[in-house]
Amino acid sequence: MEFEDDEILQGFIEESLEHLADIENDLLTIEEGGANIDEELVNKVFRAAHSIKGGAGFMGLTSIQELSHASENVLGLIRSKKLIPNPEIINVLLLASDQLRQMIEDVQNSNEVDISAHLDPLNSIFDGTFAQAAAAEPKKKATAPKKKAAEPVVEIEPEPEPTVAEPEPEPELAEEEDVLDQEDEEIEEEEDIPATVVSNPQRIQDTDQAKKSTPATKVETSIRVNVSLLDSLMTLAGELVLSRNQLLQTIGTDDFRNAETVGQRIDLITSELQEAIMLTRMQPIGNVFNKFPRVVRDLSKKLAKKIDLTIVGKDVELDKTIIEAINDPLTHLIRNSVDHGIEMPAERKKKGKPETGLVILKAYHEAGQVVIEIRDDGKGIDGDALAASAVAKGLLTADQIKVMSEKEKVNLIFLPGFSTAAKVTDVSGRGVGMDVVKTNLDQLGGHVDILSEVGLGTTISIKLPLTLAIIPCQIIMTGDERYAIPQVNLEELLRIPANQVKERVERVGDAEVVRLRGNLLPLIRLSDVIGLDRTFWDDKDQTFKEDRREMISDRRSKASPLFGTSDKSQSEQQQRPNRSVIDRRYAASSALNIVVVSTGAMKYGLVVDRLLDSEEIVIKPLGRHLQQCKGYAGATIMGDGRIALILDVANLARMSNLTSLDGSDRATEIAHSMEEAIKAKKDKQALLIFRSSETEQFAVPLNQVERIEKIKASDIEMLGGKRVMKYRGGSLSLIRVDDLAMVQPLADYDNLLVIVFNVAKHNVGLLAIGPIDALEITADIDDITLKQPGIMGSLIIDTHTTMLVNIFELVQNLFPDWFDSIEVFDAVETTDGSAPTILLAEDSNFFRNQVKGYMTEAGYEVIEAEDGQIAWDLLQQNREVISMVITDIEMPNMDGFQFTKTIRSDPRFTGLPVIALTTLAAEEDVAKGIAVGVNEYHLKLDKEKLMTSVHHFMKQRY
Amino acid sequence: MKNESQKGQPSRKQVIELATFYIGDALCGMDILKVQEINKLMQMTKVPQAPDYVLGILNLRGQIVTIIDLGKKLGLGETDLNLDPRNIIVNSTGGHVGLLVAKISDVVEADMEKLERPPANMRGIQGEFFKGVYKTQSTLIGILDVEKVLSLEE
Repeated sequence: MEFEDDEILQGFIEESLEHLADIENDLLTIEEGGANIDEELVNKVFRAAHSIKGGAGFMGLTSIQELSHASENVLGLIRSKKLIPNPEIINVLLLASDQLRQMIEDVQNSNEVDISAHLDPLNSIFDGTFAQAAAAEPKKKATAPKKKAAEPVVEIEPEPEPTVAEPEPEPELAEEEDVLDQEDEEIEEEEDIPATVVSNPQRIQDTDQAKKSTPATKVETSIRVNVSLLDSLMTLAGELVLSRNQLLQTIGTDDFRNAETVGQRIDLITSELQEAIMLTRMQPIGNVFNKFPRVVRDLSKKLAKKIDLTIVGKDVELDKTIIEAINDPLTHLIRNSVDHGIEMPAERKKKGKPETGLVILKAYHEAGQVVIEIRDDGKGIDGDALAASAVAKGLLTADQIKVMSEKEKVNLIFLPGFSTAAKVTDVSGRGVGMDVVKTNLDQLGGHVDILSEVGLGTTISIKLPLTLAIIPCQIIMTGDERYAIPQVNLEELLRIPANQVKERVERVGDAEVVRLRGNLLPLIRLSDVIGLDRTFWDDKDQTFKEDRREMISDRRSKASPLFGTSDKSQSEQQQRPNRSVIDRRYAASSALNIVVVSTGAMKYGLVVDRLLDSEEIVIKPLGRHLQQCKGYAGATIMGDGRIALILDVANLARMSNLTSLDGSDRATEIAHSMEEAIKAKKDKQALLIFRSSETEQFAVPLNQVERIEKIKASDIEMLGGKRVMKYRGGSLSLIRVDDLAMVQPLADYDNLLVIVFNVAKHNVGLLAIGPIDALEITADIDDITLKQPGIMGSLIIDTHTTMLVNIFELVQNLFPDWFDSIEVFDAVETTDGSAPTILLAEDSNFFRNQVKGYMTEAGYEVIEAEDGQIAWDLLQQNREVISMVITDIEMPNMDGFQFTKTIRSDPRFTGLPVIALTTLAAEEDVAKGIAVGVNEYHLKLDKEKLMTSVHHFMKQRY
Repeated sequence: MKNESQKGQPSRKQVIELATFYIGDALCGMDILKVQEINKLMQMTKVPQAPDYVLGILNLRGQIVTIIDLGKKLGLGETDLNLDPRNIIVNSTGGHVGLLVAKISDVVEADMEKLERPPANMRGIQGEFFKGVYKTQSTLIGILDVEKVLSLEE
């Protein structure tokens, strides 16, 4: 069908859709009112139907005309109170208005649509046959059509008023505006603006509603803007022109001060202009909310539930694009609440809730964002049930579930492929809902959160940005071009210094990962994904240089402690022997800049050359020739007039074949190998490194250190032949390593360090000099070469031979009287007078000798074992004499836990005390140890506590 | 619906003005009404992963304009950026697009009735982008079908 005048038709469509949007809500209100007919309201609906009919007749749209006419007839009866609207009648009217909307959206084909299904019931209502026919509807079809030709004439003509007001409020407005313009522009504000303000918002939202539902007709999208807003825009534009003139003048005169003023002025006007223009895009969220009463009504009817919908905050305004985009997700969520959330009336009664369920839809501003809340007082979401279902579907493992919080469990609902409904209904619950909702909202830069209490209800809150047109972005640089990463995707910025790159970046196969606070993050190089040459920023030269590394984790020696080197990369390396330029691997400035981004379920690190500022940018679309470049979400113009591309982090991940699963799989894989590697190392020792003279390096176990103080040499006093200093209101005895050990004397410095220990219930300070450092090492301790009084042994730390100070021995020798005051380590005698025997299981020679030393010194017999298995064998052979077991945790063949478990499961050894020794008492280890039956836990080098504990257990035993 | 009949096709008056320019050595022309403006080459931003005939994007008074190397697109060889090429900004359906050409020439009035079909030997990639050939006293002008040039392949 061709139409003569596009514009008139377009006008008709827009206007009709507006009317229809109103009709729907009004009909619902009429339904609520029942016999209490609100005449004004009915009138309004009547007029709307009439307008549509009039327009359709004029345009030659016969089907639309007929249907609207039939509706109008029924409304006429209601208006004249000849008919009391009941839900059935309203239902018919609603269906008819739906049909009308469909036809108007597709005007071209509207005349071909079969509307008899709607006409018949309408006409039967009109001629009074509907009431009894409600049940036997189909029968009526034959009788109805006849009537429709005759009735209109009678009913319509006596209604002159609608014809006048046909295009409804619009003409009034337009007229007013016109008159004003002609008359006196200056008076205008006072009286007229309020009028427009009142009437306009309503219409803005209506047009939008119409727009949304008209994808079929290719309508040039238009938007209705508050006239006062347009006026202010005009004013601002005028200001801008004035300022421009000023600027041009100033430029001619070289007057800098004036130029500055003008610049400020333009700055001000531009931002005001920007704000005002943004406002034109803002629309009340009511546009979306308004359709939900109908949705809830229809659904609850279908499901035989009783539900009230309360809507709060219709006036909250959001950007037009967001309003359009949240429609579907919100509908889905509302349907979910109605279908799954609210229980059947009977069930509610049983639970002591009111029969009528409540769904609250609420929008409000919070911290520069808009929050939409969908709350129901239904049965809530059972996190455990979700978790169990996720496991059953193979989406998660039981182990993963264990560590999840209740909230995380509830959020499982967003997992792709998840359906919570036990049975699938046609309303919702096809298993493809919530993840789509989340994806849609993520695309908008929104955020969904679910709070749920089983039995009490669910609250879903959605946070949305006010607008999408201006977004804060992090600007980065790669290959001499700038790119912008939206802040909503940004988790954090990470810079790995050159000397840590090789420790923190690892690879599995060809995937690279970085260790970040114990988690592994897959890495993507921006230059690789978008196909640029690899470069890096050289801070010294302020230029970009070519990067030659194969992998970030490449290092001088390609042998990784964890993974075998691939032969391929080695041979490739040999193929380019002429590395005349400084290779990146050797360059000092090869720090890595990583932007940690997240999108939906995915989180990864994007390796870029440089990190610049964060800026608020305006998104501009890319031309159609660039639509195929999926890596960009658009472009923006930077302050210097050049363009920066906006990166689409989700697509970048896809382009580099990084799926969330892949990423986490790789991460798990590598985490596992790391763990293995750490296990293999065993016996990590935390040490404090310090010096006494400049040339000799010492270490003490970090866990023995109470604190470290900086002092001046002048703080040290010599009193009664003892070195002391004031410390926390008392005096602290100071010792030096060279007091006992044959090492070089303490360096003569002004600034000294005091390492405070607590030995034999006394504080003692060890004088030392820097540099000090704390580190965890796994080096082997040599307890022969350098052993001497005060020195336990030595080890190599970073190529330095380091002596391990035995602080206990130092104190014992220098202050022997300290030990008299505390419990004397007298060996407890067994019943037959011999010394009790202790079984010591420890794989490290050094520690075994140390501990054995303590024990024999105190008068115990010690049987040594190198691992758990040997210890178990020995224990069985000597079970008569062994009265205590001291075991290391990490040992080959059988570890301490296993050993303890074996002992505890053997009735022969009931009551045998087991003391576990560890270098680092991690809490979970302690818990695990206690679970398998360890009596006490001690640190290996804490002689004092260990011995006290040994005595304690021995005394108990004898 | 009715717009189609007015633009593009000269129905009553057969004479249109052609903006002519050189792509490499070939003289080409297009309806001057399609041309919004002609610029010197400004600073462009490269777009990694773009089709090879897209030189980059530039900021034209706040609008992002895609620049297409017409020579490359038509298979007539890359335009030499050192020889002061010009950008013809055309207003196409999908927004503004810049066509990079080697040199701008005169505006020529052409009687569309005298438009001849592309010569038979103008086959392959070049042929499909030309509506026809117009003969002046001294030279031949290939008339570009701009929409075709700007349409996406596949």
